[in-house]
Amino acid sequence: MTDAKTQEFQRFNVTFRIQHVILLVTFLLLAFTGWSLKYPEPALEHAGWWIRLWGGPKTAGIIHRVAGVTMVLDFLWHCIYVTYSLLTGKMKFDPVTTIVPLPKDVKDAMQNILYFVGLSETKPKFGRYNYIQKFDYWAPFWGMAIIGLSGLVLAFPTKAAIFLPQWSANWIWEVFFVLHSDEALLAITYILIMHFYSEHLKWENFPMSMTWITGKISMDAFKHEHPLEYELELKENPEAFKNPGNP
Amino acid sequence: MKKVLLLLALLLGSLYFLSPPASAETFTCLACHSTMKGKIRTDKGVLIDVQIDEARFSQSVHGGIGCTTCHKTFKDNPHEPPKGDVSKSLSELAGLVSPKAKVDPVAYAACSECHGDIYKRVSESVHGKNVMEKKQSDGALCIDCHGSPHYIMPSESKDSSVNKWNIVKTCGECHDKEEIAKKYNLGTHIVEKYDESFHGKKYKLGLPGAPTCVDCHGAHDIKKWDDPQSPVAWDNRIATCGKCHPGANKKFVAAITHKPVGKHNPIPFYAEKGLIILTAGTIAFVIFHVFLEAFADIRDRVFRKRKEEPHD
Repeated sequence: MTDAKTQEFQRFNVTFRIQHVILLVTFLLLAFTGWSLKYPEPALEHAGWWIRLWGGPKTAGIIHRVAGVTMVLDFLWHCIYVTYSLLTGKMKFDPVTTIVPLPKDVKDAMQNILYFVGLSETKPKFGRYNYIQKFDYWAPFWGMAIIGLSGLVLAFPTKAAIFLPQWSANWIWEVFFVLHSDEALLAITYILIMHFYSEHLKWENFPMSMTWITGKISMDAFKHEHPLEYELELKENPEAFKNPGNP
Repeated sequence: MKKVLLLLALLLGSLYFLSPPASAETFTCLACHSTMKGKIRTDKGVLIDVQIDEARFSQSVHGGIGCTTCHKTFKDNPHEPPKGDVSKSLSELAGLVSPKAKVDPVAYAACSECHGDIYKRVSESVHGKNVMEKKQSDGALCIDCHGSPHYIMPSESKDSSVNKWNIVKTCGECHDKEEIAKKYNLGTHIVEKYDESFHGKKYKLGLPGAPTCVDCHGAHDIKKWDDPQSPVAWDNRIATCGKCHPGANKKFVAAITHKPVGKHNPIPFYAEKGLIILTAGTIAFVIFHVFLEAFADIRDRVFRKRKEEPHD
């Protein structure tokens, strides 16, 4: 490793990057158009500038539905792709590289918070995904499952009603409605605080981490932020680290 | 010059004819009633506003109608009674609406002379029966929804109280009141729950297809929801909801109840509470974490310069 500064590590392949871009675009469209339905301001008055920005209630509704279906398809594509990769051995389960939460993540979180307040000398050694990144993955994962399902029910209520059991009819609509809107608020605020801090505001990423476009992180960041994966890669694939540009 | 003046006179004259024709008698009445200010107490002790806004009256749908078309008798006031004849059926109807009409029941009933069909439907509705059969004075009749008959605008007009974009507020004038809900055993927070529903939110956003109260409950012939004739009675809902939602079934039509989520309906109640706790808890944790992390990041940058690791 003679030139660690200019070397980069390929963290995400092009499929994951495309899936992320679709998720990002549909998420913003859904949040912007859905916001005006969650907190409606009369479009006929001055306060309705937000809904007018999205072409009025009719157009905003169409955007919301199209973006929603696109996001659900993106979600399904991701699930199928990951399952396929695991089944064919393109992707392997390893405690160091997995996105699945493990007991180590709880320990990491506690140690990290202790480090923040100065009660621990060292930061925990993270694998491919630290506990925040795992949260960043599973929060939208379950969010998409719940908001996507309730969204489909609310978008096609008469069709959904065919499948609903009779005994649930008196309360389930209210539940779907509450789930869809409250989970969405949770997702928006989470992204706005956590994701924005770690990928945009953080010192080394400001104004934006480029990983979502290039899929790469610098060797330096790789070594510091994901030391366990770095060590694993070094052990398993030492050749790649010797050839700059082809990690 | 003379020709121009003549032309101008002709133009001004034609303007006069374009305005709604008002009878000579109306001019006579308005001579006083358009300028009178304040209220007058009748013999029966009711305070009434006797001023008529001439401009608004002449622009209203009734602007062309003479005063005595409706005000056929004045028992309670100093005028000499006009000689208009009051038919037997009209005076019977006036008797029926008298719980509501404290001042001029004949004028109140006179709407039926032109709007007979609608008046008949109203008298068979829950609103009409409440006044005419139960003799209640707080039930709705024509002017409670349409406003003063002197200033009624076409329902397409933004100034009409029954215009699509005003009707929810108009219904809410009574149905938002808790004492009315209590007295007639109706649901409370009805308008609030409508506002929170998808129907109400789309209405607020100005979606032309969004349904208002009258689209589901009916207007002049409105019945209470447990009346089998009501469009929102359980057996009629599939047809009523089906107007906008083709394929509506029994499980679908249970969606809209206007009932507040409470302990009587525990699943949505606790689902909502649980979600609020989940959301608040997550956000609290996230804010806590981000603040600490930012603090530690700045501290490390400023005070603990990260040691360059030796290259291997």
